Amino acid sequence: MSNTPSELKYTQEHEWAKLEGEVISIGITDFAQSSLGDIVFLELPEVGTSLDKDSPFGVVESIKSVSDLFSPLAGEVIEVNSELVDSPENINENAYDNWMIKVKPANMGDYEELMSAEQYTSFCDEN
Amino acid sequence: MSELKTTILTDDHLELKAKMAPFAGYNMPIQYSSVKEEALAVRNSVGVFDVSHMGEFFVEGEQTIDFIDHIIPNDYKNLSVGKAIYAPLLRENATIIDDLITYKLSENKAMICVNAANIEKDWNWISAQAQKFDIKLSNHSDEISLLAVQGPKAESTLNSLGLEVSDVPTFGVKSFENGIILARTGYTGEDGFEVFCPNATVKELWSNLLSSGVTPCGLAARDVLRLEVCYPLYGHELNDELTPLDTGLKWTVKMNKQNFIGKETLENYKAKYKLIKLALNKGIPREGYDVLNSNGDVIGKVTSGTMSVTLNRGIALALIDSQKVPADEIFLIKIRKNDYPAEYLKKPFVVGGNKK
Repeated sequence: MSNTPSELKYTQEHEWAKLEGEVISIGITDFAQSSLGDIVFLELPEVGTSLDKDSPFGVVESIKSVSDLFSPLAGEVIEVNSELVDSPENINENAYDNWMIKVKPANMGDYEELMSAEQYTSFCDEN
Repeated sequence: MSELKTTILTDDHLELKAKMAPFAGYNMPIQYSSVKEEALAVRNSVGVFDVSHMGEFFVEGEQTIDFIDHIIPNDYKNLSVGKAIYAPLLRENATIIDDLITYKLSENKAMICVNAANIEKDWNWISAQAQKFDIKLSNHSDEISLLAVQGPKAESTLNSLGLEVSDVPTFGVKSFENGIILARTGYTGEDGFEVFCPNATVKELWSNLLSSGVTPCGLAARDVLRLEVCYPLYGHELNDELTPLDTGLKWTVKMNKQNFIGKETLENYKAKYKLIKLALNKGIPREGYDVLNSNGDVIGKVTSGTMSVTLNRGIALALIDSQKVPADEIFLIKIRKNDYPAEYLKKPFVVGGNKK
């Protein structure tokens, strides 16, 4: 079974969001990394990029597939995990330790609307 | 949509928790553990693929040799009994219906192995050609399962299971009493065998192979492996619009043969495309991406692309407009918004074939 920490929020596109003070870190879920298989490439935006809710912010590639990453919320990218770009396979090791970007949210409402761990688990079971 | 067909081993794949997906009308195992682990098992040890979706036709009769030699451009007539040969199947206008391997079982009997997606198209074409020949043609695709046992330890593994294969040369064919026909052929670039089994025998062989430590491998790993050694795949490098001269198959066309379907067209044919090999240091090329010259003009498209697990870099086959192949040999691949410089290679990305 996939691992789904209760302190995080989730999207239907299989991203997670973690609130740390006024900043939200974003990554992909354990379910996502497991479905993708061996992750071999990661493309992330530059610091300062402004994101709309549900807009693509990057690309994750496994050996055989290419998937867009979608921003769970509107805001500005304030930090990018460039170490992860160099070692994207770390996402397969632990999806939740490996954040991709940190975003300063435009409004907290976007975050509040995301799915809880429980909701996300049943979403994955249904799909 | 019609119901998906299944192979005899479907339950075995599900038990191994394989990711299954539709491929050529069949529900096929795409991946078991990890594409990387599976591909590396084939390069370094031995893996097995269930490729029972592929089609098998038999040709029998006095005119078997003349018939095969007529429908493929490669030289079947001078092939020894007990050997197999690769060739495209061509129309009169030399476009490619399919690519296939023909096994010379005896002077008067041949087996043809065809792509699953093309079984019906090939059958219709070959049957139509057969009318002028004194041969009997039969389609055994639903009665034969096919396991590809590939990798440096393939020979020793099959020997240990009682299928003595050490006497089988490359592209050699051997028939066994229990109805198994195998050949030293494959789609990975490694030493290995394709084992055609009567449906009733395949479950036991599969389970014996797994008990011997052979890694079950899915179609995703198979695609990576074939691309690393630059084997073409129908629907990607080969299709209904291209001739063998457009897409790197000139070596399969023997123009000195007296006659074969498509020969007349090919006598005066100027290739429209060139199939090339490109590798990237950053980024992963995918099918459909544009290939550019140093001025940024689009000169062709990627037909297959992947991350190579053996080389750990992006690799691609691409069809380039034959009029636009740049003299400076500088190629770039457009990936989303960026153009990545590609290394132009004249030899396959990976050379396999070691034995252990």
